[in-house]
Amino acid sequence: MSTPMGCGAMMKSVMEVLLLLMLFFTAHAKEKSYSPPEKPTQTRCRSPEKETFTCWWEPGSDGGLPTTYALYYRKENSETVYECPDYHTAGENSCFFNKNDTSIWVNYNISVVATNALGRAFSDPVDIDVVYIVEPNPPEKLTVAVMEDKGWPFLLVSWEPPHKADTRSGWITLIYELRVRLEEEEDDWEMHHAGQQKMFNIFSLRSGGEYLVEVRCKPDHGFWSEWSSTSYVKVPDYFHREKSMWILVAVFSALIFLILTWLLHMNSHSLKHCILPPVPGPKIKGFDNKLLKNGNSDEIFSALVVPNFPPASASKYEEMLVEYLEVYVPEEPELMLEESKDLLDGCLKSENSRSDSDSGRGSCDSHTLLMDKCGETKEEERQTNRESSLMETQGWKEEAINHDTSGKVKTWPSVYSPLPQYGSNPLDKQSSLETAKQHSLSTSSFLTQPGTKDALGPSYTDFCLSNKENHLHPQTLAHRALQTQSDVNISNIGCKRSPATEYVEVQRVNKEDMVLLQPVVSRCGHIEGCPNLPKGEDYSKVKGVDCDNRLLLQREGTGEDVCPCVDQETNGEGGNCYTSSTVSTTQKPTACMYTAMPLQEETALALNGYVDTATMGNLPSC
Amino acid sequence: MDSFEIKITHYIPYFMQSVVWPLLLWPCLQTVSIPLDCREDQGGVNRCPSISQEKLLDRVIQHAELIYRVSEESCSLFEEMFIPFELQLQRNQAGYTCITKALPIPSSRSEIQQISDKWLLHSVLMLVQSWIEPLVYLQTSLNLYDVAPNTLLNKTKWVSEKLISLEQGVVVLIKKMLDEGLLTTNSEQGLFHNDAQPEMLESVMRDYTSLSCFKKDAHKMETFLKLLKCRQTDKYNCA
Repeated sequence: MSTPMGCGAMMKSVMEVLLLLMLFFTAHAKEKSYSPPEKPTQTRCRSPEKETFTCWWEPGSDGGLPTTYALYYRKENSETVYECPDYHTAGENSCFFNKNDTSIWVNYNISVVATNALGRAFSDPVDIDVVYIVEPNPPEKLTVAVMEDKGWPFLLVSWEPPHKADTRSGWITLIYELRVRLEEEEDDWEMHHAGQQKMFNIFSLRSGGEYLVEVRCKPDHGFWSEWSSTSYVKVPDYFHREKSMWILVAVFSALIFLILTWLLHMNSHSLKHCILPPVPGPKIKGFDNKLLKNGNSDEIFSALVVPNFPPASASKYEEMLVEYLEVYVPEEPELMLEESKDLLDGCLKSENSRSDSDSGRGSCDSHTLLMDKCGETKEEERQTNRESSLMETQGWKEEAINHDTSGKVKTWPSVYSPLPQYGSNPLDKQSSLETAKQHSLSTSSFLTQPGTKDALGPSYTDFCLSNKENHLHPQTLAHRALQTQSDVNISNIGCKRSPATEYVEVQRVNKEDMVLLQPVVSRCGHIEGCPNLPKGEDYSKVKGVDCDNRLLLQREGTGEDVCPCVDQETNGEGGNCYTSSTVSTTQKPTACMYTAMPLQEETALALNGYVDTATMGNLPSC
Repeated sequence: MDSFEIKITHYIPYFMQSVVWPLLLWPCLQTVSIPLDCREDQGGVNRCPSISQEKLLDRVIQHAELIYRVSEESCSLFEEMFIPFELQLQRNQAGYTCITKALPIPSSRSEIQQISDKWLLHSVLMLVQSWIEPLVYLQTSLNLYDVAPNTLLNKTKWVSEKLISLEQGVVVLIKKMLDEGLLTTNSEQGLFHNDAQPEMLESVMRDYTSLSCFKKDAHKMETFLKLLKCRQTDKYNCA
């Protein structure tokens, strides 16, 4: 039999087990766990104007149950706990303290409590002082305007402080900062610190750019506000005055440069002469430089070699010796004896152009070249004269060749003789002038005669020297004239034909540098009847002038005979003269001596040095 | 002798120029660094160089601003080094109060807007004068620390010096603005007493409290002065 006590105990235990099971199951049946709320966190507290402030918190997990939050605070040194007066003004999970509840320079101890059915949770307390948590609102009424400063635009930015902040009484002192950027450049802000002023100028703008401007503020001890709303502005296109000025400057300078270059180019030649004057180089007269370029040595040498220079044969030398002087009587009434410095004038007047700019005048003075030139002309004359059947030589240039190797320039009267009456050949028709040049005063004055003087026979000629061109220097002429021992007896008047043996002496030199000659008062008025010719030591007697205008000098002989052949002088008849001369030669009747000889046989009077006596030996005897 | 005389005559101007005048004028060269010392003498002779009221006020405000900044830096330095995090947020729990609590100074904006200029200036002066000695004490206390950084010590030293010059400036300002004569206080002892040698923790807390209180009071001074400045509406434009 079981006892009834044992059944009761068993029943209790079963009931407890069932109860536990029920609780267990009910707990599982809900599928959720409730817990007290998590501790909330306080994020921040801010005061926008140092008069009110707001605190925000972050709730934690609420534990599944509706949870309420409450904020409690204590002021410093007071144990009274106050609850937040306003949970709604500032939004969710916030507490707003208005002016009455806000005390500055007072520490607040704030904590938030979360409460739900299962429990409550306290946040960590926070100590704040209102003056240290000031974060103002952004500035307001931001305006941006485009202004202009001397053609350059700038932005004038102005704003207002947040309306809640009391800056007027100085309760809050705000400093501002603004930022600018172009619309197309994101995140490329240009910051500007504006201090306490409420307007600002922004320069260095891009023409035609769109700009964004924002501003923010901060109290002297506090936090920066948020950026204000953006203000947009567009800068109008403006003309770069500075650039245009530089463009003008560049254009002008380019123009000036071009002009200068053109001028330089035009005057390059003269500039070159100015800066680098050409060095005068030696130039050989009559030598073509182009021959050098050609490179043909034969041509070069042939060019260098002047024909008839140096004279190849001794005979040529002899030809150049003066054996007789042929005189030309010009038609002009005047009798001018001139002396020209430029000897070459007379030399080359008829043919060659005198001017050779490169060579100095010394070339003319050089006796070697002189010979050359005179030789040329003589050669030409010879040729032309040979052409003519007549022996008369129309024109010839006569130069005195200085055989003196010392180089002294002696007197050389140069006589031109284009005689129109003789039908002068065209060679010398120009040179109707004669230039008598008496330079130095050597005792030996030479008179050359061209070798073309084939005309022989004595003839009387009148010596007439005229020079239309050059005038002597009066002094020199006078000096020389006075000292000159004229070896020529010259008829003084008008180139008349005068008897051969007649002396001429220089009367005077007139003002026009003309030597006036006068015949020596001679005993011999006529050639014919003058057997006794005064035979001075210094004079050479002029035998006569033949029709070829050659001065026939009497040979110094032993006064042999009078020259009856003189009678046969004719006046200007070429043929007769010639015949007469030839007659006289052939005849040889007398011991007349005549000096009209061909050049080869010319004799010089055996006097002093007026006439070269080199060929004395060749004189044929009469 | 002649050469010596010549040398003397030659070098005297140079000597005068380069040596004598600088020596004579040496005190004048130091005028730049001399603080504004406008203590009134017995005879009432004002030795101060004259300065305009606006400039003086600006200068005083600058002084106050600087003092506040430096004290703020000192406080944060101290906090980092000595105060554990838990206690930073509970400054008042230790029960230490600021020494200037008892002073009759306005503490709310409404109060401040109602009091006169005279009271503002006097409040500033009171604050300044009440902190001169505690700062000296703080300095000595900090020097006792083994690990106090030099920057902290230098800053506190600087602050105590600047406070003295600030006091002088405020005195002059009072004289100018209010036409009052004031005697500078000499070490008011009534506010602070420290008899016993406290424990280490307590001294730290006390110093920390001292620094915090001074920082707040520096801010007060600055605010008062700025308010005073903007009250001169005809001279300033604080809008």
